[in-house]
Amino acid sequence: MIELLGLCGFGAQEMKLQLPRFKKVFNRLGITAVDIERGKQRLIKYYDTELQGVRKLLRLFVREMVNAVLAREEGKTKLIYAYMAPCFSMFAPALLSKSKEVFAIHHAWAFQTVLGCIFDKMVPVLEAAERKWLKEGGVAHCSNVKSVAGLFILDMIPKPDLLITSGYLCETAPKTLELMHELYDIPVWSYETCQDRELKDYSTATERIVMLAVKDLRSLIGRLEQVVGFEITDDMLRESLDGRSKLKESLGKLRNVIENSDPMPISATHDALYMALILMTLSLDELPDAVDAVDTLREELQERVSKGQGAVKKGAPRVLAILPPNHTDPRLEHLVGELGIAIVGLDPAFVVPYEGKSEDPYVAMALYVQESMFTPTPRRIPLILEGCRRLNVAGVIDRFHVGCRTVAGDALVIRDAVKKELGIPVLLLEWDNFDSRTFNYEQCKRRLEVFKTMLVNRPS
Amino acid sequence: MKEERLSTYLKDRPAELEEAKRKGVKIIGYFPGNYVPEELIYASGAVPICLAYGANRRAVDAALSVVPNIICPFARGQIGERILKTNPYYGMVDMLVAPITCQHLKKVAEVWEYHGDMEIFKLGVPHKYDGDSELDYYADRLRALRDRLQAYTGNEVTDERIGEAIRLYNRMRELLKKISLLRRATDLPLSALDFIKLNHASFCADPAFMVDVLESVYGEITRKQSTTKADLPRLLLLGPNVSLGDYEILELVEASGGRIVIEEICEGVRYYWHNIESNGDVLQSLARGYLVDKLPCAFMRNSTRKRLDFALQLARDFDVSGVIWYELLCCEVYDAESYLFAQKMAERHIPMLVLESDYGPTNVGQFKVRIEAFVEMIEKGTEQ
Repeated sequence: MIELLGLCGFGAQEMKLQLPRFKKVFNRLGITAVDIERGKQRLIKYYDTELQGVRKLLRLFVREMVNAVLAREEGKTKLIYAYMAPCFSMFAPALLSKSKEVFAIHHAWAFQTVLGCIFDKMVPVLEAAERKWLKEGGVAHCSNVKSVAGLFILDMIPKPDLLITSGYLCETAPKTLELMHELYDIPVWSYETCQDRELKDYSTATERIVMLAVKDLRSLIGRLEQVVGFEITDDMLRESLDGRSKLKESLGKLRNVIENSDPMPISATHDALYMALILMTLSLDELPDAVDAVDTLREELQERVSKGQGAVKKGAPRVLAILPPNHTDPRLEHLVGELGIAIVGLDPAFVVPYEGKSEDPYVAMALYVQESMFTPTPRRIPLILEGCRRLNVAGVIDRFHVGCRTVAGDALVIRDAVKKELGIPVLLLEWDNFDSRTFNYEQCKRRLEVFKTMLVNRPS
Repeated sequence: MKEERLSTYLKDRPAELEEAKRKGVKIIGYFPGNYVPEELIYASGAVPICLAYGANRRAVDAALSVVPNIICPFARGQIGERILKTNPYYGMVDMLVAPITCQHLKKVAEVWEYHGDMEIFKLGVPHKYDGDSELDYYADRLRALRDRLQAYTGNEVTDERIGEAIRLYNRMRELLKKISLLRRATDLPLSALDFIKLNHASFCADPAFMVDVLESVYGEITRKQSTTKADLPRLLLLGPNVSLGDYEILELVEASGGRIVIEEICEGVRYYWHNIESNGDVLQSLARGYLVDKLPCAFMRNSTRKRLDFALQLARDFDVSGVIWYELLCCEVYDAESYLFAQKMAERHIPMLVLESDYGPTNVGQFKVRIEAFVEMIEKGTEQ
């Protein structure tokens, strides 16, 4: 365990202090010596653990998962969890910084990163959910919601005082909450907007749905005040947003290095860490740790760039990846790199500029609706085309999550548009990026090899 | 049922509409689910047509060139019908009103919008139905729809005209409800298939004509003696929808000796159970009636408990001894709910059979076996 924790960035002193907690949590989650050995091997194979920045990032996830498991018994009396709740990490710092009794977490992300990416132990969690209402088979329930439900079903995490989600992307997340409320008596809340924007009056419609989202976010904050027992002021939210903007800025600079370097300095397996980090709930005191991890990594990558070192060969074909990376299994991204393809950008980072005023912290939070995944297909497509041009990519990999009707429904239309407008190849990979069982090495390898041939042989 | 005018009327309806189109009347299509007030379209002088054909397997497959098979077969059917151009209703529609309901139908609207070959109005349906801001939002979208219809048809949509339309549609809903409630009796006056076909007819028929037909049907079935055996298992049908043409399930139940006596589906009680206030602020009344007062669909927040309680009430009122849960493949929210409903029904000793359809030919064999076994189990008084 010591060696594994070392790879995850824990120093000797912290390890000594924290070891009893880690042992307790690992035992509770069924992480055995064999799992730890596998975890070490996966960390070494799939992540650049020689980079201090990567280890610092991993440390944050391990710490968060351990804190979540022990939250109730270590004196946290107000447990707030969220999933598929994009604004949550923006206001969570306000709650965490105000009271030591509050614990707030996007709980699935921490478990998916540690239990999934490191230990490859998420499958039993998914299976627990499948034995209940999220069955396997043609219906293709989203494995993200399976993760959320499975963690409670297996009693891996204490029951929260409030479980939050949103309907910004789908109905699956709120429906899962309803079922969890009915079956396990967990208090739940879903905040909403409306997905009715038409292309021809996009700006006006955005203003309209942002205002609806603002009203509902205010209701959510009202409900949270009841749970945590203190007022959550606009100033607290502003402070939260300011703290988070520093992290966002650091991640932006890191992304910039990755996008603009040849060879690409770090493997795309790390994309899942950056995304989970932006969704991580950190107090204002903890935010500098995250910023430091990202800045450290950026400096290390810049050094690599200056030496001409990279995760793929110089001149490797550059591609844009549509949708988020795999959150529980780094093998596909690793394979892409092994085959000499550089994923230099991801479309979830693309944002439609907002034309209104965003000084109100609630408006700032609601602006998630302008991000690529949250925009309707006819607006998302120009955003992707623009991204392809800006990043000067030779092709697109659209790895669409079959459990998500919203994003999967776009895949063929995006391929059609990219091929027609830009004349570059698009590889559609159907997967579930929360379920490692869907990965088929041979099949993916063959398809990626053919795709690479298309990229390389494309007339310039 | 002896009402014969309806089948002739439905056969001639596409030609009649084509003729109306030539004279300048606009045909406005909308997706089902009961979130588009037909009253508004009707009041604009346009003809509302509910695009609810779903069981055409060729259309469902044709859509796979545009969306993957994770999109439910009904939604794919809506794309496929536009691609195939064989269904006259889909070809004649001038404008589509697409309610933003589940992700599947939302995606259909986005795909249609992307291809840009038709005027589309996306009707924002907030997924919370019990808050003031959501009601205001929906009412505001209905105002926008009225404005769009006015501009598109060139006809003024006054409150008076909307009020008249509401009264007409209320009469249709009342009649559907009256006919449906007759099925509480031991002797069934009409089959579920007949009832659903009546409801489906209202999707494309002129409402005034439909009211006339329903009055005639009501008179006919209250006069006649039922020929149905009184001791056949009485069943409640639950699920998202039974689309136009998707009648296999109903026929199989009937052939197996079961009797569906009430349906809680989009084309069932959700449409006709409540009427709309036709006086005062009519747009506000429409908003309240369509968003708040009626039974929410499963994609809505906090809809599970409300629909579960209502289903249990229907089970009591209609004296049912079993539930058939009929869902479409990939309909994730209904599939999730089926677990809870089955559990709660079982607590009341009401067995529930879950059937998942993709409109494919392979459904029939396994549905037949499972339905027969289910009906037999109820007849013998044994539970699952």
